[in-house]
Amino acid sequence: MLDIALRELSSHKMRTALTAVGIFIAITAIVSLGSISAGVSELVTSSTSAIGSDTIFVMKAFDMSQMSGPPSSGSMTVTDLTSDELETIRSIAGVKRAVPVISRQMGGFTEVDGIDMDEVDIFGAKDIEFKEGNWPDNGNREAALGYVAANMFGVAVGDYISLNEKEVEVVGIFEEGSGAYDLVVLIPYDAADDIYEAGGGATQVMVEPQDVSAVDDIKDTIEEELDGVDAMTMKDALTMMQDMTLTLNVMTYGIGFVASLVAAIGIIITMYTSVLERRRQIGIMKATGALGRAIMKQVMEEALILSVASSVLGVVTSLFMVEIINEVLLGGTRLAVVTPWLAAGAVGYGVMLTLLAALYPSWVAVKVDPIRAIREG
Amino acid sequence: MKGKEAIFDLRDVSKVYCMKGVETHALRGVDLKVSRGEYAAIVGPSGSGKSTQGKFFLEGRDVSEMDDNELARVRREKVGFIFQSYNLVPGLTAVENVALPMRFAGFGRGEAQRRAVELLKKVGLGERLDHKPSEMSGGEEQRVAVARSLVNDPDVIMGDEPTGNLDSRTGVEIMELIEDLHKKTGKTVIIVTHDLKLAKRAPRQIRMLDGKVASS
Repeated sequence: MLDIALRELSSHKMRTALTAVGIFIAITAIVSLGSISAGVSELVTSSTSAIGSDTIFVMKAFDMSQMSGPPSSGSMTVTDLTSDELETIRSIAGVKRAVPVISRQMGGFTEVDGIDMDEVDIFGAKDIEFKEGNWPDNGNREAALGYVAANMFGVAVGDYISLNEKEVEVVGIFEEGSGAYDLVVLIPYDAADDIYEAGGGATQVMVEPQDVSAVDDIKDTIEEELDGVDAMTMKDALTMMQDMTLTLNVMTYGIGFVASLVAAIGIIITMYTSVLERRRQIGIMKATGALGRAIMKQVMEEALILSVASSVLGVVTSLFMVEIINEVLLGGTRLAVVTPWLAAGAVGYGVMLTLLAALYPSWVAVKVDPIRAIREG
Repeated sequence: MKGKEAIFDLRDVSKVYCMKGVETHALRGVDLKVSRGEYAAIVGPSGSGKSTQGKFFLEGRDVSEMDDNELARVRREKVGFIFQSYNLVPGLTAVENVALPMRFAGFGRGEAQRRAVELLKKVGLGERLDHKPSEMSGGEEQRVAVARSLVNDPDVIMGDEPTGNLDSRTGVEIMELIEDLHKKTGKTVIIVTHDLKLAKRAPRQIRMLDGKVASS
């Protein structure tokens, strides 16, 4: 009898609206915040799968707590490896090649990466499609920009950008949706060395072993030979990324969970009030032959309509919220995404939570004594 | 009346109810039989409450042995109630109100509404089908309640002060409507009232005094 439940809800518009707002806010919070988690997870997956599984990353050891902080614009200072240290890595037995990368953070998750243009394959960048232009040439102050980075600078091919107060020509822009490369300004290693006065050093060195089975040995040797240096295999990197993603998930979904608990209490209160207010009406229904089941069903159906409507509305609203998050908080990236799973999960959760919260009020309704309710009004 | 099948059979029924710690003896050892197809008026105070003693048989079945769901089924299918204060559901239209007990009995919306319309026409409300209780007069509301009491084709129509909230002319109209139904359908009609004039309309008056049947 969904029609009866619908009539009941629409005859108390204010109360219905207030209950719905609670669910709506919780679902909007879950989906909006969850979209960041979902986006980061996707980014992690796409960027790590592009890089060969036998690659070892080497960089100066730094405090992990810096990683989980907000990406403050360019203030994260990572010490470079020196050219001597780079040579040491290259001399280790079993190393096929060691590619130095000079990385500098910019605002809004974007960064400059300087790498030898003949070695971009180790970066997993070989298959990137260009929207316009092409790869920079070694030896030139040229740059290829990711879609988001290009938007941030507001440049096209042929324009110049300023890196460390030096002019660099934009020669290529990547196709939108190139994963992590959306956020990158890629320049030749020698240009980066020159611009940032890195003295032949590297922010990170990507090491490829001759033999895959030697990965762990090479990693250990690097850490023994060099002080204050971290070597990370792809497997370690994945674990670290997963830990970070998990932390992010706990934070974002945690906020959503708390919001949903508040919403659930709101549902219990408003529906309980509504049942008390309708005691007489419920009594009439019982006196005219409604079984306890039917009364329970009616209250649960009201909860069902309410939760489906406000959860769906919450998901739709968060689609707009995600646009705002991407534009304002994440500097024009497409980082936050509402995946179908997130949307469906949020609606399912909203409905389940509401039905659970409605159990107590509907039980109260079932227990209404028809005779007393009708006599006492 | 003797020899006819008893639809109600009360044997030594007592009813006590507590309100704010005060015990009220509504019934003290009542024996009463009402036969199928009878029209009876019960005059005197009516009680309500939980603790019932004695035996109450409905069509030979002991009511005290029924569980809540069976009682609900009985109320739905055997007895049609008409209350003093109409007791319509405020948010629903006349048709929906009449159809409601049938919906509870498991009938679909279409079938229940068709029967509701038919009954509302019978009680003279063919023009007020989609009006809500707040848009109707007391007399009209009670007609809706009469139609509702009939929707599941019960054996008994039970009126608890059905004219108590109406002016005397409208009250008489409602009584005539109920009596007309009694004549045409042969349903058992029991009216509870403290109004002697109203009670005298029935062939049989059951007088209650101090929780006992004084005469019947």
